[in-house]
Amino acid sequence: MDSLIAASARALAAGDPLGALRLVALREDPSALALRGIAMAQLGDFVRARDLLRRAARRFGTQEAVARARCVVADAEVALAMRDLRGTTRALQSAAALLASHADLPNAMLARLIVARRLLLLGKLDAAAQALHEASAPGAPARLAAVHALIATEIALRTLRIADARYALAQARSAASTARVPALSAEIERMGDALMRPAARRLQRGAQHALNLDEAAALLHSGALVIDACRRGVGIGNVWRPLATRPVLFTLALQLARAWPGDVDRETLIADAFRLRCPDDTHRVRLRVEIGRLRTLLKGIAVIDATARGFALRPTEAGDVAVLLPPIDGERASLLALLADGTAWSTSALAVALGVSQRTVQRALGDLQAQGRVRAVGLARARRWMAPPLTEFTTILLLPAGWAFG
Amino acid sequence: MTNQPQRSPRTASVSAADITGEYGPFAGFDRIHGVTFDGNQVWAATGEALVAFDPANGEVAHTIEAPSDAGTTFDGKHLYQIAASRIDKIDPSTGRVLHSIPAPAEQGSNSGLTWAEGSLWVGQYRNRRILQIDPADGRVLRTIESDRFVTGVTWANDELWHGTWENDESELRRVDAVTGDVLTRVQMPHGVVVSGLEFDGKDTFYCGGAASGKVRAVRYPKG
Repeated sequence: MDSLIAASARALAAGDPLGALRLVALREDPSALALRGIAMAQLGDFVRARDLLRRAARRFGTQEAVARARCVVADAEVALAMRDLRGTTRALQSAAALLASHADLPNAMLARLIVARRLLLLGKLDAAAQALHEASAPGAPARLAAVHALIATEIALRTLRIADARYALAQARSAASTARVPALSAEIERMGDALMRPAARRLQRGAQHALNLDEAAALLHSGALVIDACRRGVGIGNVWRPLATRPVLFTLALQLARAWPGDVDRETLIADAFRLRCPDDTHRVRLRVEIGRLRTLLKGIAVIDATARGFALRPTEAGDVAVLLPPIDGERASLLALLADGTAWSTSALAVALGVSQRTVQRALGDLQAQGRVRAVGLARARRWMAPPLTEFTTILLLPAGWAFG
Repeated sequence: MTNQPQRSPRTASVSAADITGEYGPFAGFDRIHGVTFDGNQVWAATGEALVAFDPANGEVAHTIEAPSDAGTTFDGKHLYQIAASRIDKIDPSTGRVLHSIPAPAEQGSNSGLTWAEGSLWVGQYRNRRILQIDPADGRVLRTIESDRFVTGVTWANDELWHGTWENDESELRRVDAVTGDVLTRVQMPHGVVVSGLEFDGKDTFYCGGAASGKVRAVRYPKG
């Protein structure tokens, strides 16, 4: 550690990235490159920041494995801030192990939190929960404990464990107040707001009312047969039958549920499911085939009875049938609802799920991307779309940490 | 880099450090850079301030607000402190900066600082060398090459010692002030690093512990 590096790190910790840069601007040794990288990241120039951090990591010799590992972690954090989710987390995982073996537990924990957040962004909820479990460290610095609790909140929210989410959020709030990082507290407040906002609408005997996440979760666990237009599927208790890739079948199920306990006539079903106005006999045959497929998919939770004029839904166990709709109407709402399942969708899969053309989906995604409500990973045919998580974390990177590079 | 003669580590005597005391971390300061001893108190540079404590009980007597990013030394009357790219001469009773000289520049990674025989000696971390400079104007008088990253430097009587720190491994090394040859190596336990270094004139080295925020006393090796 030398005086300019120490002074530069001191400036960074005091929130003065320009002052930090000034002190080491002309130096090319790895410690200086690393500090310049952090400063550039704080100034928002992520591309330059990653270049500097990678050069620093390469230049730290084998005798400076800890400093090199810290650079790998910092680079991964900037990548996360850029939503660059390409590649694997192998380097990050081994950096975490090395830092832990050298008793740098805060940076090891930071590395593991980045892994968890990355998995969360990719919608791999189970893997994210596992990574988060591995990141747990007793006696961790408050700001890392707060981030840990925030990720736990989000995983709980996205798996609709609302009580767990509230508990984790309370933990995040108390850790953040200890850490006194305004950006972190703001994130937590935003997450708290998300918990309060209407999450869905319930359709009941022609009337609609808004449900917050608690009420939606309660409904999903109430034992009622739920036709869920948010996540596109049919569920009862712990049973879930996804219909996201079967738009015709989902439309039929939704129509039958809307009319429950009454029936729906064939012409209406054909018009809605096949988007036709003048059906003929061939469509009645097709309707019969599709109803047969839906019967198979709903086996064990509901049956579909044929009536004189059409079909009627009859739950086999549930006493009630509920229809859950996205909180807002329209094609984009259902697009967002689809993406909200946390998985990465290709445009063609979205088009199939929504029963619209790929071009329509692309147009809608373009608009939503411009508003920052969806994001894309990968290029060309490999491109996948995701809705942002319920909250966008600020990057931990922007918090002044004990950066020590040598 | 110049061509350096291969130094054989077998010529140096090696021993484990005998740590006789630990001070700090001091409230409000989370790292220690340079350390020096004025005959009564140990001074430690923390980045924002110089902290003076009594080595008998570790109690902080006073602090001086001063940018202090690396080595600290005492010439019998004044403190010298490396701050970013300069060396400040400070009156310890008032904390006033009396004079400043530029720290050795030339991509210098100035780390340790000590006073001896009318000169300042500056350890350069990544440049792996020790410079003897003129305290009046900062002119470089002599260069001693090392084969390790140099942190703190100090004179123990007529012996030149410096700290090394690479990847959480640290040693105190006695080197030949002319050739730079390593004569004695005192190894710190794994993970215990040495930033600043000072000899108390009798039998003890004081070592700044960087991010640990501690100052450690290490016994001068026997033999």
